Amino acid sequence: MKAVAAAIAAILLLSLSALAFGRSPVELLNILVTGSVGSRFAIEGTLLKSVPLLLTGLSVALAFRAGVWNIGGEGQFIVGAIVAIVASRYGVIASLAAAMLAGAVWASIATAMRLWRNAPEVLTTILLNFTAIHLLGWCVNGPLQERGAQYPQTDVAAVALPQAGDVHAGILIAVAASVAAWFLLYRTAEGLRLRATGFNARAAKWAGIDVDRQLVRAMAISGALAGLAGGIELLGVTHRLFERFAAGYGYSGIAVALLAQLHPLATIASAIFFGALATGAGELQRTADISSNVAIFGQAVVILVLILFGSWRARD
Amino acid sequence: MLTLRGITKRFGENVAVDDVTLELRGGEIVAIVGENGAGKTTLMRIAAGELAPDAGTITADDAIGFVHQHFLLVSDFTIAENLALQRAWSFASLRTLEDEAERIIAATGIDLHGPSRRVEELSVGEKSKLELIKAIAKKPRVLILDEPTSVLTPAESEELFAVMRRVASEGTAVVFISHKLPEVLAIADRIVVMRRGRIVLETKSMTADELANAMVDAPLPTSVAPAKNILAIVGVAGNGQSQLAERFRDEHPDAGLIPEDRTRDGIIAEMSIAENLALRSKTNADALIKLFSIKATSAKQKAGSLSGGNQQKVILARELSRKPGRILAAEPTRGLDIEATAFVHAQLRAAADAGASILLITSDLDEAFALADEIQVIYRGRLSERMPPAVAREKVGALMAGLP
Repeated sequence: MKAVAAAIAAILLLSLSALAFGRSPVELLNILVTGSVGSRFAIEGTLLKSVPLLLTGLSVALAFRAGVWNIGGEGQFIVGAIVAIVASRYGVIASLAAAMLAGAVWASIATAMRLWRNAPEVLTTILLNFTAIHLLGWCVNGPLQERGAQYPQTDVAAVALPQAGDVHAGILIAVAASVAAWFLLYRTAEGLRLRATGFNARAAKWAGIDVDRQLVRAMAISGALAGLAGGIELLGVTHRLFERFAAGYGYSGIAVALLAQLHPLATIASAIFFGALATGAGELQRTADISSNVAIFGQAVVILVLILFGSWRARD
Repeated sequence: MLTLRGITKRFGENVAVDDVTLELRGGEIVAIVGENGAGKTTLMRIAAGELAPDAGTITADDAIGFVHQHFLLVSDFTIAENLALQRAWSFASLRTLEDEAERIIAATGIDLHGPSRRVEELSVGEKSKLELIKAIAKKPRVLILDEPTSVLTPAESEELFAVMRRVASEGTAVVFISHKLPEVLAIADRIVVMRRGRIVLETKSMTADELANAMVDAPLPTSVAPAKNILAIVGVAGNGQSQLAERFRDEHPDAGLIPEDRTRDGIIAEMSIAENLALRSKTNADALIKLFSIKATSAKQKAGSLSGGNQQKVILARELSRKPGRILAAEPTRGLDIEATAFVHAQLRAAADAGASILLITSDLDEAFALADEIQVIYRGRLSERMPPAVAREKVGALMAGLP
């Protein structure tokens, strides 16, 4: 209920700020709604945006549930996509599997630093994001640049996800991933231990749980999900890599997960909400000349409202 | 001084305090006794204005001092800085703060030296003295102490009682909550017994047995001989017990482990009873709830919403039901009422009889002598030789105080 209240509060605040700039909130809300769910084209757009958000949201939800502050979804998303394009010549499955592995490895760098020198993963995962962004920049200007070397981008990937209309098969993978994440967290002993560690690592230790192992696993799974998101975005939507490929999906995943209160199934609804917001915001830019950054503004408002309601607080 | 009339307080469906009327007069020492969850602390927090009652009226003089069961000190700050937190905001140098602290401490007549020492360097006994100084420095007309002796040595407790008597003789009403019946009988002018949120008895004098019977519904089993296979490590809190317990845990991860701080280390408050029980191994939650007589609405109830005694039963159920060969029980009955204490002791005895070897770490000497067949004293991280109870009885006091 808090989540719904937060979503509504975000919409209200968006309307109020529209008013402050002398625009009619009703008209803008109208564009936002038509632009996100008003037509087949709009709905497909919303779903396309929801897929990476769902996977990065799951990535964050799973990590946070285990008490691991993985803020590095963006970097894991990028690294997943880089490896996916390299592996795409071996087929879709190999490409996506490689993306997951790459995301997991990238996230595990932070785990290693945490276990080795107790470096907080909140910092290391963020720093790894910047590293990944520059790695991508180097790749598209260097070893992976398209033949002809005209633009800073790669060639089109060797394979693509099967599509129906604009919507690609990644949507099925993402939904399956959220059911799998739910099953893992709430129906297995492994998930019980992950959650126990997240709630109270000290007590988990006294109950015989290997807390370090939970950290290793949570980070690897979380990284794999973000990497998968990058691979699917590549093979389903952009088909090539360029510098601004990630478009903030990794960070938006935090908002998606928090609105879903870290529940894997609720993450589906939350991802669609933010997907709709982003798609509607695109329409605002086109027809009303309002920056599509309002979508990011909306995300920020949702997080702030959730924190104000106290449904999510940082645990240490 | 302070009059409570018809006080009622509910937490959800649970009636914590039920239509209680109590009057406190200056100069008397009142003990409030009762089991865990009887409503003692809730009633006192209402008296101190920390909680608003759902019904009833409070007539109070302005100044009430409250010493909580848990320390409310800033551990990175010095004694002087902690005392300075109490005063109105003003500019003052550290040197002035320390002089002022010495004056405040001297005025209370409590023996605590070195106001420039940081709180984290203090012993548990010194911390509780500092809490007491904080409360008395405000010159309260009513002074409330919530289980003040639970972490003190017998000598420190005596010191506390002397301070309580002096404060009372200066006209302050002193109220203290306690589980320890001998000290209640020794120091209180009036004893108030609470049970299930109500005052069931107010008396000036009674015997320990009468008092114990008034506190619980069922008659208590009398104590029996020590069990074999139980080694007790006794000592004043803060002498390395926690480190010893953690080392035992890391060396014997498969042992039955009962940590000393059950809310921090024992249960996962946000998870259900069933989930807490399943952390170690696959279990039948409903069967264990029955077997360990855990009072809960269902296995889905959050463990954090249980009373202390029932939380401890959840931990016992999780750790003992898998019949481990070794058991660590660290302060297994701290803060528990008589009934829950008896239950925990019975469970440990049963495990020992079944062949488990038990390491009992406790600062409660009665517990050590009631259960253990061998006793060791820990002082500043060092263990004394093992002694049979008869020998230990003679030497334990001196060893705990670090005397040769």
